[in-house]
Amino acid sequence: MNLESIARNLDLKSLTPDLPGADGADVTAGYASDLLSDVLANAPEGGVLVTLQVHLNVVAVASHAELAGVIFSSGRVPDAEVIAKAVAEDLHLFATDADTFEVVGRLFALGVSSGRGA
Amino acid sequence: MMSVRADLHVHTALSPCGDEEMSPPAIVDAALAAGLDMIAVCDHNSAGNASAVGEAAGGRLTVIAGMEITTVEEVHIVGLFPTTAAAANAADEVRRSLPPADGDYTRFFGEQYLMSADGTVYGREPHALALATVLRLDEAVALIKRFGGLVVAAHIDRPTFGVIAQLGFFPHEAGFDAVELSRHAPAGSPAAAACAAYRLPVVRSSDSHYLEDVGCVATDLTLEAPTYPELVLAVKHSRGRMIADA
Repeated sequence: MNLESIARNLDLKSLTPDLPGADGADVTAGYASDLLSDVLANAPEGGVLVTLQVHLNVVAVASHAELAGVIFSSGRVPDAEVIAKAVAEDLHLFATDADTFEVVGRLFALGVSSGRGA
Repeated sequence: MMSVRADLHVHTALSPCGDEEMSPPAIVDAALAAGLDMIAVCDHNSAGNASAVGEAAGGRLTVIAGMEITTVEEVHIVGLFPTTAAAANAADEVRRSLPPADGDYTRFFGEQYLMSADGTVYGREPHALALATVLRLDEAVALIKRFGGLVVAAHIDRPTFGVIAQLGFFPHEAGFDAVELSRHAPAGSPAAAACAAYRLPVVRSSDSHYLEDVGCVATDLTLEAPTYPELVLAVKHSRGRMIADA
């Protein structure tokens, strides 16, 4: 399931609507963490990150970890500067009022997992 | 010029995780016994005991009023202020966002003692200092600078609450004046070597929560006098003032 479909299913708001590619490759793996050093070490390439951290370093870390997109949970929304940086890095950003637990549960139901099995 | 040995990150019994023995006179005695000329009192999200430690020192030791802020990203940053009044005013803004320290909180995190210069407990801090503030990293940095302070990235080598652990990469744009290495990153360690990339002065501080840790590591400064303005010059590596290599 690609990012566009995930966003539709989870009713996510795209923060990077003009960035092409959300209808591209399937995203089958994800990660949830607010500790960015942990994201850097463990998030699966091509996956989606769920976090409530909205610091600029989220973009740097997600880009370095080669993630496809980031979902900001619990109503947190990054500054315009962060969004612009994400666009420059070809990283899709989404926001939702749902909390991380809820978002991850819905992603799992859609077949997106950590990519490591149980 | 003179050589000044400084431990720029010492907690008191005001920090919930700080030992109750960390009273103003006991900290001063421990600092003098450790051969320190200067300490900075940096309690979590507060500065309520800084002036008492300065008073307890009675000129035998320079006491800088500081504060260790927990940002919303759960990054610890140290602010070192020119005066106790500046630290107190900054702390008033920081504490404002914290919830009250109720009984359950105190049972779990510990007491937050406000002490006078002779070590007498005269009150308890009513805000939950152990929790993260609502300040983003950039807002916390701006707040410290607004009160004329120096901004130090606390214990950047640590796996918890250090800016690199929380944010993955060192944020060069954040506006830090210096980075702090803990006692766990001796000279020659990978964390100490990594500091070269940050292009900032490096201080070594004990982050003491117990008396026996005060001065267990320290920063050697070359100053004209052991004062805050001289410390600022050393951080800026200006007019012959300097910080020895960590």
